Amino acid sequence: MDESVDTDAAILASAAALLRESTFEDITYADIAEHSGVSERTIYRYFPTRSHLLESLARWIERERLPESDFTTIPEFIATVHQRFRAFDAAPAFAFVLARAASVSPTLDNPSSPLADSIERMLRSVAPTLNARDLRRTTAALRYFGSAMFWARMRSGLDGSAAQTSEVFERTVRTLLTSLPSEAWAA
Amino acid sequence: MSRHPEPTGEPVAAVTRTQEGILSTYCELIEELGTDDVPYRVIALRAGVSERTVFRNFPARVHLLLAAADWIERTVFAGVEPESIFDVPLAIREAMEAYDRRSELAHVVAEAAMRGGSGAAPARRAPGFDRLLRLEVPSLTAEERWALVAALTHLDSPGTWVTMRRELGMSGRDIADAAMWAAEALLNPIRNRSSAEPPPAR
Repeated sequence: MDESVDTDAAILASAAALLRESTFEDITYADIAEHSGVSERTIYRYFPTRSHLLESLARWIERERLPESDFTTIPEFIATVHQRFRAFDAAPAFAFVLARAASVSPTLDNPSSPLADSIERMLRSVAPTLNARDLRRTTAALRYFGSAMFWARMRSGLDGSAAQTSEVFERTVRTLLTSLPSEAWAA
Repeated sequence: MSRHPEPTGEPVAAVTRTQEGILSTYCELIEELGTDDVPYRVIALRAGVSERTVFRNFPARVHLLLAAADWIERTVFAGVEPESIFDVPLAIREAMEAYDRRSELAHVVAEAAMRGGSGAAPARRAPGFDRLLRLEVPSLTAEERWALVAALTHLDSPGTWVTMRRELGMSGRDIADAAMWAAEALLNPIRNRSSAEPPPAR
């Protein structure tokens, strides 16, 4: 069991290292085999398709290279996302992998989202009487604008820097929150 | 102050009849088999062309995928071009319903847009939104307008549907509602900004 966990991690660490020189598209299983010393056959056993590899690599990057910080208030949430966008700008290859992995048809069980869970928890605490519908759609919008997808679209579609992306993110979040009923907020 | 880049128009991709046949067949197969590695051989067989023809038109899978995403956006998910910026929330709601009906294709378009500088058009609607805002709410500052264009462009994409489905487990109906609500909430503050009004002092 331990051995398989290590193999798994070694393959993903190699794939992440190869992202320094090539895009995910250009990295072959043979490249990873050579870099990690794990046989190509074993890599296929762990990651039967490139989608499996992409999703697993994104989780590894999230955990090992771009861990999110905790937040419990709106300003902390905004600061966390600003910090993430700056980290994405510093490691665009990682950020594009996160954005792509979040958009493919899921291959892994339980495509969990720690960020969505944290946002919902924060909203429940700062706006305790928010109705279920508003809570859900606000969580969804905040999560989507705080995502690697938003960073990627701003970067490749609108030529925006991390600073501009952060500015649009913050402006959008504040406008959305202002539209919620004022009595929903905790005193 | 930071300069805000102007959204540019998308490059016009000319698609030949043969390419169109291959792309529509490929999309059919994606909906039947999933996106993973639909073999060129199977595409060729179904489209009634030689495998060599498929390779000649799309030398690598990435070409096939990006061309397919572009074709899907222009045909399956084309929707109606909104006439007013205030029609955008409704257009977004309809787009989300369309993604829900053709979910595999929505994933293809969403993923193609996330590939960095490799030819996808992740901000297809941006120039149109920019034009409508200049026309209908000329009192917006460049900064305000750019932020709105960026936010609406991001909402009006299959990525919204994918994220809400995957990460929040929402139903198609709830996703359509949530995306429309967000777009309305973003536009509400500018509904009464008439053209006569000067830009707000900064």
